[in-house]
Amino acid sequence: MNNKCRLSLLLALTFAVAACDDTKDKNYTGMGGDNGSLPGGSDTVNPGDASSGIPPGPRGNFNPDNADYQTLASDTVYFDFDKSTIAGSERGKLEAVSEWLKANPGSSLFLAGHADKRGTPEYNRALGERRALAVREYLVGLGLPAASLYTNSYGSDRPAVDGDTEEAYAKNRRVEVGVIAQKP
Amino acid sequence: MNLFPTLLRPAFLVLTLLFLGAQARGQVEVSVSTVPRVGVSISGSMGAGVTEIVSADLKRTGMMAPVGGGSGDYLASGDASESGVTGRLVNKKSGAEVFNQTFTGRGRLAAHQFADAITQAVTGLPGFASSKLAFIASATGSKELYQADMDGYNVREVTHDGTISASPCLSRDGTKLAYTSYKSGYPDVYLIDLASGTRTRIAFFPGINTGPSFSPDGSLIALTLSKDGNPEIYTMSTDGTSLTRITRTRGAETSPSWSPTGDRLVYSSDDRGSPQLFISSASSVSDMDHLVTGNSYCTKPDWSPDGKSIAFTTRIGGQFQIGVFDVASRTAQLITTAGGQDPAWTRDSRHLVYANNGHLHLLDTVSRQSLPIEMNVSGCGEPTVSR
Repeated sequence: MNNKCRLSLLLALTFAVAACDDTKDKNYTGMGGDNGSLPGGSDTVNPGDASSGIPPGPRGNFNPDNADYQTLASDTVYFDFDKSTIAGSERGKLEAVSEWLKANPGSSLFLAGHADKRGTPEYNRALGERRALAVREYLVGLGLPAASLYTNSYGSDRPAVDGDTEEAYAKNRRVEVGVIAQKP
Repeated sequence: MNLFPTLLRPAFLVLTLLFLGAQARGQVEVSVSTVPRVGVSISGSMGAGVTEIVSADLKRTGMMAPVGGGSGDYLASGDASESGVTGRLVNKKSGAEVFNQTFTGRGRLAAHQFADAITQAVTGLPGFASSKLAFIASATGSKELYQADMDGYNVREVTHDGTISASPCLSRDGTKLAYTSYKSGYPDVYLIDLASGTRTRIAFFPGINTGPSFSPDGSLIALTLSKDGNPEIYTMSTDGTSLTRITRTRGAETSPSWSPTGDRLVYSSDDRGSPQLFISSASSVSDMDHLVTGNSYCTKPDWSPDGKSIAFTTRIGGQFQIGVFDVASRTAQLITTAGGQDPAWTRDSRHLVYANNGHLHLLDTVSRQSLPIEMNVSGCGEPTVSR
């Protein structure tokens, strides 16, 4: 190998190494540590106003991902497309939920609102929240204490069923009723 | 010359000759078809790589045609080494040097800065090659936050939380990211300082805290909170103080975006049934100005940096498309036909980054040409671009 060849090879290698620094999808470096929270939140519940409905309650001292969705699985409330009003066909389920909590006063309920994927993500998150709040309001109307009813919205991020059929969408527009094994 | 299909090349040549002829007679006559040709030829130890990056950046704008070094209406030359890029642009018709400057960005950034300077000089519009991109991707099975360059290089997975991350917003200067995370179990808004990597939770009221949007000066965030009942728009300082309510309706308000002057917000509201776009004052609850687009489903608005246009997602026949609302004439038109959602303006107020079927694309709203932003990451959505 003559000197010219060696120089070319060296240059090629130099560039290859330099180029590697910028290769796609390399160097995944994640977040540094969390820096805690600033004062942008509180558990003080606003009394609300007439136009906004009943505001959500404070968050519970439990991990929402540990809610038991099996016990009351048959009482999942389904919604019409783009709607958060509770259809007449779904009201019997909420009466059953109400009876169950009255018979199990050591528990609380976690109302998880969901939307199908035919909306944009943020709109779906708001729609799921309105569905969860609508179920909470209905249950309060049946005599359950608001403090025992927690809510959350997952938008379209946790579908019950995958797929692009009307049947799949209908199963994803829902509020699941989770059981939390502790008093509020 | 890959900008035009083979059959159109003779037409392009004729137009170019007409254009040059008009110039020679001292007339100013610019046609869309006659994109300036820019010869790119950069020497030095990194010259070949930088020539490639700059050429790709110029081509990506759709407003210039990169050509070999010897030809073209302009010549971009210079020297590139590990220590940076010195770039020079000459107008070959007049022979005048347009600029000669040093670009000091690290790695590929210096080449992108050179491309942006060429874009500004040749087209009069700010280049976006040096902008940063952030987005959500579900490649790992959960929705995580990612960063990348505008050309799809330097992809970085920012979060590894195994929960739902959503709705990122880069500050205009690209130094901060605000986004929604279910890390606590509930949707809260977090602020990431990208230089230090620190993450701070700034909104965690009862209910949902989501959809943050930085004000133009970066001091405020507009967002959706449901703490008072149904989801409404609020603004707050990035330090978590000075919470101000902006909407009060029976519907749900989402996806706020600031006017470039910072005095107004555009957002989506379904107070009248289906989601529609509205503009309100950014300082208090005020009248809502309904933007009539002719479409029953309009969400996720993004106000352009020049203030003239509002891009949004609409749904037609079960498919998402992107529309642009012209603020002055109060008319809207669709600018995609093959699907698209979550548009985000680049700093030239002409191009949009958007998502379609898990991939990100760059759309020229004038030519309607769309290019994929190629990344080896699946399930991409909700792009945001620094300005």
